[in-house]
Amino acid sequence: MAGGEEGPAGGSVSEPLDLVRLLLDEVVFVKLRGDRELKGRLHAYDSHMNLVLGDVVETIYTVDEDDDDEEIRTTTKKSEMLFVRGDSVVLVSPQNSS
Amino acid sequence: MSFQANSSRHDMAAPGFGQSYDPFADLSRSADDIDEALDFEDTYDGLGDTLDETDDAFNDDTFGGDTGGVSHAPVGKDFDFFGQTAKVANAIEEEHQRFSRQQPAPKSTQPSSSQTYNSGYAYQPAPKPARTGYEKYKSEPVSDLQVDASIWGVQPKKATPVAPAQPQPAAPAAPPAGRKMMSLEEVEAAMRAQAKAPAQPQQPQPQLQAPSQPGPEPQAAFPHAHYSHQEPINYQQQQFDNRQPRGFYAPDNQQLPQGAAHGHPIAILQRPSTKSIPSNGPSVPSSLPQQHQPAPMGFPTQILQNPNRMPGEPNRMNLPTHPTHRSQNSFTRQPQAGANQAHLSHLSEQEKASFLEAEARRAKRNHKIHVLSKDNGLMTPQDKSFITRIQLQQLVSATGDPSEHGTDAALAEDFYYQVLSSLRAGQRPNPNQPLNNFAQTYLFQTGTRHGGMRRQGRGPENHMQRMEQQVQRAVEAAKNKPKNKQLVIEGSLGKISFSNAKTPKPLLNIKRTESSTETTRPGSGHRSHPTTGTDKKETLQNIEKVYLTLMKMEDLDRNMPPPPPNGGPDPDFERRAELQQQLQQLNEQLWNELKVHEPIGATSVHPFIAFLSYPKGKKAIGRVFNHLTLEQQTTILTIIVIHLDQLDVVRGAQVQTGEPINLNAATRESIELFIVAVMPSLLHLLSKSELHIVTGVLGLITQNLNVDLVARTRIGVSMLTMILSRAELAKQAGQATEQSWQQWVATFNQFFNALEPTLPNIFPGTVASGEDIYVWQFLAAIGIGASPEEQQRLVLAVKDRVMDTVSLSKTLPPDMAKTRLDNVNLFMRSIGLDVELLNN
Repeated sequence: MAGGEEGPAGGSVSEPLDLVRLLLDEVVFVKLRGDRELKGRLHAYDSHMNLVLGDVVETIYTVDEDDDDEEIRTTTKKSEMLFVRGDSVVLVSPQNSS
Repeated sequence: MSFQANSSRHDMAAPGFGQSYDPFADLSRSADDIDEALDFEDTYDGLGDTLDETDDAFNDDTFGGDTGGVSHAPVGKDFDFFGQTAKVANAIEEEHQRFSRQQPAPKSTQPSSSQTYNSGYAYQPAPKPARTGYEKYKSEPVSDLQVDASIWGVQPKKATPVAPAQPQPAAPAAPPAGRKMMSLEEVEAAMRAQAKAPAQPQQPQPQLQAPSQPGPEPQAAFPHAHYSHQEPINYQQQQFDNRQPRGFYAPDNQQLPQGAAHGHPIAILQRPSTKSIPSNGPSVPSSLPQQHQPAPMGFPTQILQNPNRMPGEPNRMNLPTHPTHRSQNSFTRQPQAGANQAHLSHLSEQEKASFLEAEARRAKRNHKIHVLSKDNGLMTPQDKSFITRIQLQQLVSATGDPSEHGTDAALAEDFYYQVLSSLRAGQRPNPNQPLNNFAQTYLFQTGTRHGGMRRQGRGPENHMQRMEQQVQRAVEAAKNKPKNKQLVIEGSLGKISFSNAKTPKPLLNIKRTESSTETTRPGSGHRSHPTTGTDKKETLQNIEKVYLTLMKMEDLDRNMPPPPPNGGPDPDFERRAELQQQLQQLNEQLWNELKVHEPIGATSVHPFIAFLSYPKGKKAIGRVFNHLTLEQQTTILTIIVIHLDQLDVVRGAQVQTGEPINLNAATRESIELFIVAVMPSLLHLLSKSELHIVTGVLGLITQNLNVDLVARTRIGVSMLTMILSRAELAKQAGQATEQSWQQWVATFNQFFNALEPTLPNIFPGTVASGEDIYVWQFLAAIGIGASPEEQQRLVLAVKDRVMDTVSLSKTLPPDMAKTRLDNVNLFMRSIGLDVELLNN
């Protein structure tokens, strides 16, 4: 911090999480365990992949086991702000479509 | 330990003592059988020695038959023996000791009673010697203990002849050894006879001293005169002792040399021997004179060792030849080596002394072994498991969280001590007093647990289960401990994975090479291509860099010491200078990271414009401006203006008058954000800028950009409004020189000309949409600065919109209508008109 020298601390990628850092304040797609997906703006994360998302749309995939056929049903929820515990995060990806 | 021996004597009275279950029960049995023991002893084949004493489980099978007749009813009170009997036994023991000390005479006078009593006590009675297999462990506890201390304390004296003061020569002790074959009846008869003999006066002392006085002393004291014929026998005893560690093995060993059938006498002899062992050395020289010693003199020693035996000794005294052999034996451990004995007798005083010493050492060692091992086999497997549990519990509590130690935990830890102490407390005052509640509860609880069911059954299982549980707990505690520790140390959220031997913690170890960012990144190839320009990732990285630098600079700002008041001496000058320098460095770094100076047109999108296309890039501008010089800020303004049509908030954000606003949510958001995050900084900058700068900016827009595209966007309009307003304000404030104002007017005219065709199309949405206030503001800004001719053109250009709005307002509720008309009036009044005029 002392000097003005160009340290690697800046935007260089030294670990995977540095890529997640680039997604800060971006809309990201997060896949969670339990057949859930989130789409929202990434406000914060930590080394455990705990995430704080804003304006989140959560999609839950459930299988309806009717008598004969199995249908995949999706449920969506919207949350203004969401804290996601890292142990359920499967993947985080930038969301380009928005 | 003491209670065992005692219990054996007293158990008869104690209820439930006869339980076969208890390892010591056999003792009680033997006591019970005392009456019958005469036959039993004589015929006893010694098989008891071969029993596996450690396996209590078979006690039932082994002894069940015997005890059955005596006290089978109280079977259920197994532990009663342990608790109550032991208690009583202790008390009795104490009583006995006291009794023996205080009233030695009565014993002698009433041989029969005292005899039985004594026999029951530490000094084993003739009947008792029966080898139940537990004999080994029965060795007199009390006397032994006393012997210990005294022996070691006194031992040094042994070598010195000064000791003689002791009247009790070894002689009396000798007699018992000599006669091994006596039957119990004979022994008792002899004892009675002797009890009445003159020994009485000396008895009290022997009793007390016997344990404390090492054998050697008495003998050394009266080497010549006091040794009687019996001494040899005494030696025999000693031999046994020496050979066998302190009477521990005595019963077994004795039998071998002396004839298997008669274990009794030997056993009896054994006891006394422990004390007399060391005496061998001194006794050797005195062997000759011994015979002359009067019987009474010898008696006392006998009493020391075994008061009861004394009477029987006379018979044994008849064996004169043995002494030599046996004394030798004590040294060499080979009873038959007579030569040694003779040799010993000829030894010099020094040699004798050394002999004595060696003998004493051996005795010491033997005694130690004996003391250590005399309690062997006392514990049942259950007892052992209990101990194990205690230890495990301690382990658990030791490894567990210290904060958990409450009063309950402490109580649990001390549980056994609590029980013991309560037992003792209750025991002292009155042996018959029932256990206190605490002890009773737990003792009987455990007692019934085992006693209620078949002994071999669930008891051990129970213990095993509990032990397993304890082990489990201990293991868990051990597992948990490092976890907690590490959590505390790391102080991080939910770091659960800890490395251990089996599963080492996988550590992500990516080597960070300085050049790696350039060489390994796939995008690096693109980067070298000017045409491809900055890709998204790089822009994002730039943004992150900017933020990092920003945070550092803000840190420095916070840490900056306050400036000295009133320009006085600055105590923090050095520090401030240092920080300023750091700030300067960071400023340069930030400036580089903003990429403002990247060549224009070298890439499809200027890096800084790409930077601004991200929400976080826009948000950074306000903070960035705080750390940039005015010049840098102006440069940024220039860059923004030059690329105004490339801004994401301008490009593709054009509106068309009369058409519904067709902007997606993201663009709308982006526009709003730009207005909130970027425009204020630019406005602030402009407000500080000279008019010529404002003029230059407007010229840039007019000359380089498509005014139509810019003017049809909200951001473009706002920017233009900002510029025009600033010029007007500068003029009104008198900041503008005539020359600069002329330049401005010229530029404005160019701009107006370029803008005029677009004017009708700059209104967003339809008239009804009502989002056109910023346009009216823009028109007002134009109108103020415009010449009358331009104002007229202006009015013409927007007349339709004005008329539509006015007519629309008539259909709207008054307040809404007023809002609309006010918006229009912003423009109308700038050119000296009013909507009221149009209403007519």
